[in-house]
Amino acid sequence: MSDLRLIQQALAQSIRNPQSTAVLRFLAGEEGLVERRLAIYRANVAANAAKALSAAYPVLHRVVGEECFAGLAQAYRHEVPSSSGDLSEYGGAFAGFLDRCQRVQSLPYLPELARLEWQVHRAYGAADAQSWDPVGIRMVAPEQQHAIRFKFAAGTSVVESLYPLVRIWTIHQPGFQGEFEVDWSVAERALVARDGLHVTVTAAGAGDAAFIVATLNGARLGDAAAAALDAEAAFDLSAFLSHAITSNRICGFSLDEDH
Amino acid sequence: MTLSVLTTGIGLRQPHYREVFDRRPGLAFVEVHSENFFLDGGASMRALDRTRELYPVSLHGVGLSLGSADHLVDRHLDKLERLVDRIQPEFVSEHLSWGCLGAEHFNDLLPMPLTHTALALVADRVDHVQNRLGRRILIENISAYVAYSDCDMTEPAFLAALARRTGCAILLDVNNLHVNAVNFGFDSIAWIEELPPSVVGQMHLAGHAVTADGLVDTHGSRVSEPVWALYAEACRRLGPKPTLIEWDTDLPSLDVLLDEAAAAHAIAEGATEVSSV
Repeated sequence: MSDLRLIQQALAQSIRNPQSTAVLRFLAGEEGLVERRLAIYRANVAANAAKALSAAYPVLHRVVGEECFAGLAQAYRHEVPSSSGDLSEYGGAFAGFLDRCQRVQSLPYLPELARLEWQVHRAYGAADAQSWDPVGIRMVAPEQQHAIRFKFAAGTSVVESLYPLVRIWTIHQPGFQGEFEVDWSVAERALVARDGLHVTVTAAGAGDAAFIVATLNGARLGDAAAAALDAEAAFDLSAFLSHAITSNRICGFSLDEDH
Repeated sequence: MTLSVLTTGIGLRQPHYREVFDRRPGLAFVEVHSENFFLDGGASMRALDRTRELYPVSLHGVGLSLGSADHLVDRHLDKLERLVDRIQPEFVSEHLSWGCLGAEHFNDLLPMPLTHTALALVADRVDHVQNRLGRRILIENISAYVAYSDCDMTEPAFLAALARRTGCAILLDVNNLHVNAVNFGFDSIAWIEELPPSVVGQMHLAGHAVTADGLVDTHGSRVSEPVWALYAEACRRLGPKPTLIEWDTDLPSLDVLLDEAAAAHAIAEGATEVSSV
């Protein structure tokens, strides 16, 4: 077993670093050819990771272009190697990497775009919303309503931004038709949700966003509503809830009564 | 010509879903990569459910890393088990390879040294996976670009022993065999002769690229002439087996895949007729 581990460590090292020669003593064949063959593995590993990253970040890929994206993918893989045999999990730390990345500082909205795309990527494979009967909410006594804990459909999330994030995302969708102009003075909160099998990205008001974020973090109705009103004095709770429930964005609730 | 009902199948990839659902070509089965469906729900899962209504499905794994010197990743196996429960596939297959060490995954199929130690390790893993899934799995021979100098046995002897110890079946990838035979200069027919026909449960066919440093498995072109010839030989020696056309990069039109599947069907039929005379 230790031999097997040694061999695998040596090959792993060679894949990470072309200068590493530790694996050569375990391999058969003429050294020059073996070294060129090892490069095939390096290329495959890099290509598989870059392809997975592009699948999770298609808009970012389009925004920065082929060459820049390839460079980012390579640098990201060296900093944050894949940690799963399931490549759909690869790329979760890309936004944080872009925060620190010098070469894309001329596009300061990129980390937020990456955060949005990661949430879209996760929403794509999130559990399908089950249909439910909201009639039970009406049974809750008025004095208990503050203790309702709503459940948002899997895949729901909010991405805060200093930039017109929803607009940027929208105009880079395949098949987008319309004006490409972007008003850079607008800051948008992106609400990511699933509508059936479809992932939607829409701009959310400050109150809606605060309510959703608080609820996703486990807040009960009373506290989530307070957070929403804090964020936006004109927040209309009943209008928000009725839309969220009829559109299946909210897909259940529990009652978390005081003890 | 595309036959109305083939004994062969194709790898079904996302750009062809719609057309396959509409046309429903007569295929024996379709294959998908297990890891593309380790999801809780959404459009991909819905498409796979639909596929399963129309065809037997082969779940082909690329990320379990059966041969890693480290332990098997339980979470990966959990996800595979959940998918198998949902899809009830005809086949579940993985590779004789490793792909991760410590926390780092290379997401590639890296070759195993053909040693007694490696055999014992992989056999334990295959036992474990088969127990968890409650079914027989198939293990595929991979394309390789380097070979280890210290080996206790040949690859077919390794695979035959693995099948004997665990009861698993072997997925003979004819393209991978050809790629390796050219890259390392061995006789591919002698290789096939070392494999007991009864352990082979499926065959794969795909295209490769020819480079100055050897053949590279790309799944990006039509099956080459030498691979067709080797497939005919494999059919004669092993008997016809469920056979799949794999194509993953530079995906062509669905009709090209169906043509390739029809060509494989014709070769398998021809080989059976000859051998039964």
